[in-house]
Amino acid sequence: MYAVDSPATRTQSGPNGSGAERPVVRHKRRKRGGDDVVLPWLLSGPALILLALLLAYPVGRMLVLSFQKLGLKELWTGAAAPFVGLDNYVAVLSDSAFWSVVTRTVLFTAVSVVLSVLIGLGVALLMRRVNRTVRLLMIIAMMFVWALPALVQAQIFKMMTDSDVGVINYLIDKLPGVEFQNHSWFFTPIQGWIVITSCVVWAGIPFLAITLNAGLTQVPKELMEAATVDGANAWQSFKNITVPILKPLMVIVTTLSVIWNFGLFTQNWVMRDGKPEPEFQTLATYSYVQAFAQNKYGLGSAIAMITVLILLGAMAVYIRQMFKIGEVD
Amino acid sequence: MAVLTSTPPRRKARKADDGVMTVGRSRAGSLVANISGVIFALVMFFPVYWVLITAFKPQTEWSSFTPTFIPNAPTLDNFTSAFNAPLFKQSLVNGVLVTAMAVVAALIVGFLGALAVARFRFYGRRAIIMVVLAVQLIPFISLLIPIFLMLQSWNAVGNTLVGVTLVYTVLILPYTVWMLRGFIAGIPRELDEAAMIDGCTRGQVFWRIVLPLTGPGLVATSVYGFIQAWNEFMIINTLNDPEHQNLMAWLMQNQTSRGTYWGPLMAGAIITSIPVVIFFLAVQRNIASGLTAGAVKG
Repeated sequence: MYAVDSPATRTQSGPNGSGAERPVVRHKRRKRGGDDVVLPWLLSGPALILLALLLAYPVGRMLVLSFQKLGLKELWTGAAAPFVGLDNYVAVLSDSAFWSVVTRTVLFTAVSVVLSVLIGLGVALLMRRVNRTVRLLMIIAMMFVWALPALVQAQIFKMMTDSDVGVINYLIDKLPGVEFQNHSWFFTPIQGWIVITSCVVWAGIPFLAITLNAGLTQVPKELMEAATVDGANAWQSFKNITVPILKPLMVIVTTLSVIWNFGLFTQNWVMRDGKPEPEFQTLATYSYVQAFAQNKYGLGSAIAMITVLILLGAMAVYIRQMFKIGEVD
Repeated sequence: MAVLTSTPPRRKARKADDGVMTVGRSRAGSLVANISGVIFALVMFFPVYWVLITAFKPQTEWSSFTPTFIPNAPTLDNFTSAFNAPLFKQSLVNGVLVTAMAVVAALIVGFLGALAVARFRFYGRRAIIMVVLAVQLIPFISLLIPIFLMLQSWNAVGNTLVGVTLVYTVLILPYTVWMLRGFIAGIPRELDEAAMIDGCTRGQVFWRIVLPLTGPGLVATSVYGFIQAWNEFMIINTLNDPEHQNLMAWLMQNQTSRGTYWGPLMAGAIITSIPVVIFFLAVQRNIASGLTAGAVKG
């Protein structure tokens, strides 16, 4: 009915149709050509309008803002924000603080993504090897972690690493010859980032492990058995059978992890009480602080623009993969 | 559709041969694997366990330098004090309202859009799909500056629940369209066509066939949207004053002002998480497949 040239619609007015129905069907058929142009646009209209209003327009506004000087004065008086050309970009790019934020964000993304994907893959493989009860235990534990809101995940880690009542300090202190009482994890950036990274990796493992495990169930058992009969060892069959089959899925989950971790906001925001020190800033918090705490909305927009551009570059693979899916269906 | 979107009957059928591969696997290896699996589960679950027991510990216990691993004197005091904390109830109501309105709006608008791209071949269809996919790639937090300025300039929606609802609707809309598109495309066209031959009008096909069959998909999608909107705190925290917050933002503000009151804070965290955890566990299978749809082709 929807596809104009579908064979089913063509046979509709065939000899089998009853005489009473035929005129109605024919009438509808004549109208269909017009319907298939207007109706889908009417249906998707509301969605497109909303997206345009609250996504496309803000993107455009952000681009314009990044070339303007918009501070408290303009905000309060409602005066038009003066255009300052590339000043915001020059200010951002010539600021060494910005570059250390970029380096930190990229470094954190690389470390956390590699860790979570590797552990996730390991856990997924482990899940294929354990018996059903243990697998169920693993899944239950991961489901709870996955289901918790990011804010709560971060608060749990903040509590567990608290210098006074934190259970982590207590447990480490129990180790022979280690003095960890009242240890402050956020005193040095390295240790603070270990806590943040642990939280992000812990929170990210469930999605990766469960998705990759689902992908592993797609590996045909016969192939594996044939390889074993042919004398392949575990590593060879993993490398030559599992990896190629799992690769598209690996690309997707890795890219998703990159997107999520690159935009790190909640974890360091929560753990630093909404006021991250310079050593704990990422691109997302940096742009936010510049705009809303320093009231430099133009500058914040320029940082956000640069962030989006870096992310788009890094996500080229994912974009291609998604568009492929969009074309097929 | 993705292979991962396993329908219940298929899943059951697979369960039988879902066991451990027998060829080339040693007993000792299986033992090591099982033990590692249990340890992994315990380590993963420990933080969850810790938040649960902290919420039930009296102040003397959660503020003690020597933590107890099983609460000595479990109490509900933390939950009462969280409930009675300033603005808690209001934030709860606000959160429910904003989330519910955003999910309903996104579902209605998204379903129509999904119907268009899944069931019609029209000029511009691919462009719509591309737009829906592309907007998912823009980190929403980076749009906060223009959205903040925009809602402020429209006086009626700045610092109201309506304004945030609009923003949340758009936040979950792309995923809603994308996921529902998959569900509608999964309904065989032959069903529609058969109904048309039997004399159904296009509207009747929609009401009697497409809508009921998309039911489970609508539930899964709305739950996912609920989780997204319910978990959000940065947008509402920036756009609205303390009277117009949701529970997540309340939790965040509470942490900064009362820093070390871990007992009530964790009780609040549990109250905030309960709906998410329940809903999440109900649809987790669809979430994984939705996020990676099409990654493994069947």
